[in-house]
Amino acid sequence: MEALLNRGIKQIIDEHAEVGPILEAYGIGCVPCSVGTCLLKDIVDIHGLTAVQEQELMTKIAKEVYPDRDIVIPLREDTAPAQGGELTYSPPIKKLVDEHAWIKRLLAQIPAVIEKLDLSSESDRRLVRDMLDFIRNYADRFHHAKEEDILFKYFDENLDILQVMFTDHESGRAHVRAIAEAVETQDRAVVCEHLTAYRELLTEHIKKEDEILYPWMDKELSDSQIGQMFSAFADVDVAFGDGPAKHIAFIETLEAASS
Amino acid sequence: MECGCPGSKMMDRRDEDSGDDPTVAVKSQLRQWPIQLHLISPEAPYYAGADVLLTADCVAYAMGGYHSEYLKGKSIAIACPKLDAEQTIYATKIQSWFEDAKINTLTVLIMEVPCCGGLLHLAKQALAASSRKVPLKAIVVGLDGEVRSEDWVTA
Ligand code: SF4
Ligand SMILES: [Fe+2]
Ligand SMILES: [Fe+2]
Repeated sequence: MEALLNRGIKQIIDEHAEVGPILEAYGIGCVPCSVGTCLLKDIVDIHGLTAVQEQELMTKIAKEVYPDRDIVIPLREDTAPAQGGELTYSPPIKKLVDEHAWIKRLLAQIPAVIEKLDLSSESDRRLVRDMLDFIRNYADRFHHAKEEDILFKYFDENLDILQVMFTDHESGRAHVRAIAEAVETQDRAVVCEHLTAYRELLTEHIKKEDEILYPWMDKELSDSQIGQMFSAFADVDVAFGDGPAKHIAFIETLEAASS
Repeated sequence: MECGCPGSKMMDRRDEDSGDDPTVAVKSQLRQWPIQLHLISPEAPYYAGADVLLTADCVAYAMGGYHSEYLKGKSIAIACPKLDAEQTIYATKIQSWFEDAKINTLTVLIMEVPCCGGLLHLAKQALAASSRKVPLKAIVVGLDGEVRSEDWVTA
């Protein structure tokens, strides 16, 4: 069983396709993940399952991988009481979750924008540029910078889960570059394709952070680190001045225009 | 004190097994003096940028591992929200921790009896009034010394 825990998840799923749906039933979506090099033991650890859930899950996986062996999975000794219901975040992590809410509101507008998009009109080209401005300056420079330059620095950046996050951020930047070019050449198909892809990417990315990465990080960080991070985030907020407020106002106008 | 107040309701647990070997020496983690909230100065050097514990008087007696699990590496002040006088001074001092001492975090440890919640309330009010914000955590301790809850709170 030890050996199984130390294997990469993609490899296990490749050999035993049934493991994918088993993980999914516990809210662990490794199948569509872009990287998939995480070890089974880290996946189980990071998803914050209760001891009973973990025992059930591991028993099902063991049955799948070793059908002719009778493996008994012991109940893990619970270190922390299981947190049922709503997720509670530490104050700095809560800030990031609140920023996600604004990013999600932009993502929600993308389908309506695409539907009516006419790049031959200057006002529509400006609309896309304004959306890119929000993505570049709020979602990326302001928000992702807090993640990459502050939060992630408390962890080993070679961790698989962090590599997944960095890869997502980079893919997002690539979509932005593609959109920016296509707006100028008035290539509607390319703009729509990359806006849609960006929406899908960020929706999944934010879900991973809110539900898995952040709660796990919150458990790992000491109170003292939480305090340091809170004040480092406050410094970033001060450095950006009224920029973020302007970006938030843009989302509100965008929503008002489409309703 | 027969007032029907749940905070002074009697409980006798002498028959329960205390478990541990009582002869093991436990090292104190206290690194400062004074500690009573009326006596301390928020500008004392050991509060500057520190992780501070504001602990209700009864907590350290109720918990077995207070020194090693909570006090270690932190600065402290103690107070009783039920019996202490002049608590507006307390509010001012807590606010001064946030604004002047620029403490890193504040953790309020209280007993689960309702009147002890007054200490958390005081800390929340001070944080709401403060121009500088810091993460505030509340730890509630049961009469059996076990931690009932540990949560980040908003003012
Ligand atoms: S209010 Fe708290 S500290 Fe004061 S006597 Fe009651 S339990 Fe003890
Ligand atoms: Fe991210
Ligand atoms: Fe994020």
